[in-house]
Amino acid sequence: MSSTRRAFLKTSTLVATSLVIGMELPESLAGKVASAFEPNAYISISPDNIVRLWITRSEMGQGVRTTLTMMLAEELEANWSNIRLEQATPGGRFKDIRLRTSGSGSTVGTYDALRKAGATAREMLIAAAAENWNVPASACRAERGTVVHVATGRKLTYGKLAAAAARQRVPDNPPLKNPKDFRIIGKPLKRIDGHGIVTGQAVYGIDVHVPGMLYAVMARCPFVGGKVASFDATKALAVRGVRHVAPVKSGLATGVAVVADHTWAAMKGRDALKVEWDQGPNADFDSDHFLTQMQDQLAQPQDGYFVRDDGDARKVLGSAAKKLEATYELPFQAHAPLETMNCVADVRKDSCEIWAPTQCPEVVQSETAKMLALAEDSVKVHITLLGGGFGRRLIADYAHEAVEVSRAIGKPVQMLWTRSDDMRCGFFHPCDVEHIAGGSDVRGRPIAWVQRSIGSDLSVVPYPTEEQKKNPRGYFNEGLPWGSFDNPYNFPNLKADFIPLNSPVPTGPWRAVFYPSPVFARESFLDEMAHAAEKDPLEFRLHLLEPGDVLKVGDAKIDRSRLIRVLRVAAEKAGWKRPLPQTGDRLWGRGGACNVYDEDCYIAQVAEVSVGAEANDVRVHRIVCAVDCGLVVNPLGLEGQAESGIIWGLSATLSGKIDFKKGAAVQSSFTDFEVLRMDQAPAIETHIVASDHPPGGFGETAVPPVAPAVVNAIFAATGKRIRRLPVSLQEATCSGCSINATARSQA
Amino acid sequence: MPMFVLVVNDVQHHVRASSDMPLLWALRDLLHLTGTKYGCGIGVCGACTVHESGIAVRSCQIPLSATSGKRYTTIEGLSAEGNHPCQRAWLEEDVSQCGYCQAGMIMTAAALIQRKPNLSDAEIDAAMSDHVCRCGTFQRLRRAIRRAAREVSKT
Repeated sequence: MSSTRRAFLKTSTLVATSLVIGMELPESLAGKVASAFEPNAYISISPDNIVRLWITRSEMGQGVRTTLTMMLAEELEANWSNIRLEQATPGGRFKDIRLRTSGSGSTVGTYDALRKAGATAREMLIAAAAENWNVPASACRAERGTVVHVATGRKLTYGKLAAAAARQRVPDNPPLKNPKDFRIIGKPLKRIDGHGIVTGQAVYGIDVHVPGMLYAVMARCPFVGGKVASFDATKALAVRGVRHVAPVKSGLATGVAVVADHTWAAMKGRDALKVEWDQGPNADFDSDHFLTQMQDQLAQPQDGYFVRDDGDARKVLGSAAKKLEATYELPFQAHAPLETMNCVADVRKDSCEIWAPTQCPEVVQSETAKMLALAEDSVKVHITLLGGGFGRRLIADYAHEAVEVSRAIGKPVQMLWTRSDDMRCGFFHPCDVEHIAGGSDVRGRPIAWVQRSIGSDLSVVPYPTEEQKKNPRGYFNEGLPWGSFDNPYNFPNLKADFIPLNSPVPTGPWRAVFYPSPVFARESFLDEMAHAAEKDPLEFRLHLLEPGDVLKVGDAKIDRSRLIRVLRVAAEKAGWKRPLPQTGDRLWGRGGACNVYDEDCYIAQVAEVSVGAEANDVRVHRIVCAVDCGLVVNPLGLEGQAESGIIWGLSATLSGKIDFKKGAAVQSSFTDFEVLRMDQAPAIETHIVASDHPPGGFGETAVPPVAPAVVNAIFAATGKRIRRLPVSLQEATCSGCSINATARSQA
Repeated sequence: MPMFVLVVNDVQHHVRASSDMPLLWALRDLLHLTGTKYGCGIGVCGACTVHESGIAVRSCQIPLSATSGKRYTTIEGLSAEGNHPCQRAWLEEDVSQCGYCQAGMIMTAAALIQRKPNLSDAEIDAAMSDHVCRCGTFQRLRRAIRRAAREVSKT
């Protein structure tokens, strides 16, 4: 599949290449298992029947250790209980294999390569057995860790065959299984590494301890773009256990590190440290004021960056019989993974070793090599489990800090961010303003759509690059803003543009990257148009997707029939037309939304909410989700990601935001950056629509439709239209929109 | 620096540390029992939950000075073979995603069902809502706790 959007998070050297076939022993096995069979970088089979599989992505909860194992084991015909996992590390035999974990791309990006790797090994094992029995290979088949001679029933285990298999010719194009013969792919499998998690044995970045290691925390400049003016280490150094105090400049926020025998002493040392901050050029930055500046851009007469231009939308809109317009606003968001940023670095004279919970190990390696003027091969990066990623760990700032401190003190060190550091001093999902105007003809048919996005570049990636910006159609080609560019609906006249307004706040990828804002606006506005036309919002969408053809936009192909199907399934399973239970003093409503994530994942959601009389008393009771993302490798994993993405989206819908006042982030912990808790969590039903299409990625897909589905349901319940997130019923109005607050779905 | 006797998972440890050091950091940095996680440091996320004489507590809020005479259990000591009804139920329901919050969740749930196995859904929600799970594993969590509670009430 070709996708420029997914590609944007790659660096130049990270494109997955064809399988590396070689016999290089991995470091962890070198000298130990001399007769292991290693047909490629991913697989090692030893005489004791243990099958070692290398996982080439970071596990952060999305289940890649299980999914990637399933793909390898399927073609390899491995015995599941003999499998042991190893985490691939950058360089060496993975030099040309992508390890970066981003853009919901792990399944998509490894499916072909891992199946081929498994099939290669299987064919060589079969050839070894055939040779041993002096029969044709076609008379043998592989089965759960053994090769069987079909006619006689003779069997040899993979372990026994390992040495002989290593001598076989490596097939160029080993036959792949017909999907109908899959016995692992497509089955709901529980995660392969769950036991370590429930027993406390699993090792996250924060759990790494190397001999002689010290612990560091940092006083970080809270002002965006500010820096250390001066500091006095005297009192910090007087704290028992504190060993060093050192300035740090290599991260996103500069500061002063306090290094101690253990974390608590480092924290106390940090409290005792005296730092004067130079507030820098943004000391007056205020996110509310910035939002006003963004709104001001809406009236800019010139076009912004080209996103899409079909027909003549402005002209048709001008002469439309009925016109509707609305503005939507979304705030800055933090990632707030439960494991705060951390990294262990051990800088030595001619080398460096790093243990990091990271989504971008190649970047950690290459940038560390640059920092230390070392060859990349001299920087060893171990990837631990990640206590949540969500895009935050695609930036290596915290690893650089650990490297800088280790170099300064000449000892291995763990750099740990406190929760407040993590909430205030990282990078953020950019705030966004969207404006949409829609026009209908005299018969109420929608004929024009004009969407303008006022957003921000991703400053920490950076994306788009200066080079990309020089191309007047660059934003189109790179697919920013997603959701507006690949609007799936059939408007004969559709215009979309993008005006970047960059704040000093560091911004970067967040779960679902650019999709949440344009999709919130698009799916909310469709609901507004449907109500204005007195049409059922679901029927309204289906009508705009007819005749279910394939939309080509840029290099993306959007199959409207797949979107129609998931909309129908979600509506049917949710009982779209069924009256909702009316309980006492609460108003109930249903709302829907859909999206196509990166052209290969089709999703529709229906939310059921109720609204009480108390201030902002919104409860989301149920979300029904229908998905077609092609072949599903692990349905149980997909279901988990649907639940996870929906809860993530709900947190941002109902409570999450980061404000900036006087140049600094206001929120600092889960007390003021509220995330959804269990008593607020709705029942979630996930329905997978069977599909013959190749697998799509699903780590982020469920996020974008949640917010519009919920606000559409709130409208159905109350007639109040929410156009700013997080939801505030007090702020909800119908201004700028021709609808009255009378619509009710309580038929 | 004062010496503390810490009883963790039925083992007595002698640790020399400042009296205000939270139990969390003593467990992690001094005893290298890293299953107990740091999440917020102010007692609002629940990642650091351990048992203090059978009651679920937030180890980031307990200074070493308050540990004398208490017996602590961490996730590493919840069961000998990793087969506590909660641990098994967690695997059975495939709860964990990133997994970072789960040890704390399991410790709270284990104490809860020990005290009252026949829990209502509302009681489960109320107790578990003091925990943050950024991956949103709540639906499976509910199922796992119900499953573990059923098992405990049978025995």
